[in-house]
Amino acid sequence: MSTSNAPTGVCPFSGATGPAETDPPAEPVAAPPISASPGTFAEAPVAGWVTIPDLYNDPFPIYQRMRAESPVHWVPAVNRYMVTSYAACHEIEQDEARFSADENNSLMKRAMGHSMLRKDNPKHQVDRDSYGSTLRPGTIKKHWNQIFASNHAKSLDALIAKGPGADFVWDYAAPYTAENLRLICGFHNATQEDLQRWSQSMIDGTGNYADDPEVWAKSAAASEEVNAAIDEMLPYLAANPDHSLLSGLASLPIPLEAIRANLKMTIGGGLNEPRDVLATTVWALLNHPEQLAAVKSDPKLHAVAFEESVRWVAPIGMYPRETTADVVLEGVHLPKGSRLGVVLGAANRDPRIFEDPESFNIFRPKKPHLGFGGGVHFCAGTWIARAQVAQIAMPALFERIPDLRLDPSSQSIDAGWVFRGLTKMPVTWG
Amino acid sequence: MPTITFAQSSGATTEITVAEGTSLMRAAVTNSVDGIVGECGGQGMCATCHVYVRPEFTDQLPELSDDEDEMLDCTTAERTDSSRLGCQIKMSPALMNIVVDVPADQV
Ligand code: FES
Repeated sequence: MSTSNAPTGVCPFSGATGPAETDPPAEPVAAPPISASPGTFAEAPVAGWVTIPDLYNDPFPIYQRMRAESPVHWVPAVNRYMVTSYAACHEIEQDEARFSADENNSLMKRAMGHSMLRKDNPKHQVDRDSYGSTLRPGTIKKHWNQIFASNHAKSLDALIAKGPGADFVWDYAAPYTAENLRLICGFHNATQEDLQRWSQSMIDGTGNYADDPEVWAKSAAASEEVNAAIDEMLPYLAANPDHSLLSGLASLPIPLEAIRANLKMTIGGGLNEPRDVLATTVWALLNHPEQLAAVKSDPKLHAVAFEESVRWVAPIGMYPRETTADVVLEGVHLPKGSRLGVVLGAANRDPRIFEDPESFNIFRPKKPHLGFGGGVHFCAGTWIARAQVAQIAMPALFERIPDLRLDPSSQSIDAGWVFRGLTKMPVTWG
Repeated sequence: MPTITFAQSSGATTEITVAEGTSLMRAAVTNSVDGIVGECGGQGMCATCHVYVRPEFTDQLPELSDDEDEMLDCTTAERTDSSRLGCQIKMSPALMNIVVDVPADQV
């Protein structure tokens, strides 16, 4: 069956209907199912032209072409189906019965253990509940915000001390978010540099599709270090409780294996993501002076810029799911046991939902993006990320360095697709 | 079976009949009611299922938990005395014909 015929359809999200188009339309329209008549479906087209190096450099033109062809492709280079339409990604995240998070042969399980991110309910909920109120808005307001503010002041001092030409990511955003995460987790026996090293080593393991033994060795070493740090902290925090995750876990009947895996997942997901959103948001604003001026004159827009940045470049661009049965997803047949990549980075630029989706535009009509995932695995750190980036860091940064700008003598580099962010961002001022 | 009426700020209303035990958020999302997102699938974590419950039904509502209370401070549209999270309201005989107003913004 051809995959190019794209009749009208009903968007399961908004209920809107409209004609399908392949170019970004002036008005968002509904997602096209692949087959016209009910009960029929297509096999996923094969995207043999997609390569990992191309995805790493700039996945967005690739996603444009994929979305226009079909909501789902089989991608040999990635060895899984890639789901790129908003409607299909949204359907998956709201239906854990058919789309399981508990993937077989998961690299993440190998690198970090079996965390809540790779469990389905009811097992997932037990782990999730074990995180208590540490990451919830009430605790953030009462407790974390002042800690974030003080960590931020130190990181900003360090950036300023380094002087113009300093790197926004490595001299400021990374140490700031790592120090916040260290305290959120309760690693009073480690440094923020340890957190950065652990995080990157285990993330590299999680993405070690090439099965590089050196990557596995580093990841395993980091994992052992985290185990030792947890073993040391649990009795201490049981006797000296605070607001951290480990402190809450110290008094719960949760198996040590689950504590370790969940903490490793949190170290992986709680550092790079706020770091990358902070850098991407500021980078985008510095590239759009009129939007930056608006944000500076209206503090409420920090939060808007943050959300637009998460939409525009989702820091977690893809996550895995596995089908539990034969399914038809947006008109495409997927056999039971299919390994899927849910490509949030593509869904968030679906022209059927977002007008002019490739542009960073804080003034666009507000619509829900999928950057934090959805359904039962909706990011547990969402409010922590919003607080530390949009509420604490951005206003203080622009207040302290009002003439912050990208260093014209040294190009910034944005890279990645499973995780995407700035890998180099020299800035200047004065 | 209980009926939920969702009133939009435009004046349009949608009436939905659901089985007891269904949450207001789930009823809205399943029936594509505009303006109810329900991003977190009903865990009380996202504040995108915010509704204003008409005063005549407030007595019948389940009590506000601490978790719901703090999440209601995070809604995009202004929180009022009538604000609740749709995912925390499960339909029961007491709420037979509940009417809620959908806020203009959820995100
Ligand atoms: S659906 Fe997320 S808070 Fe109700």
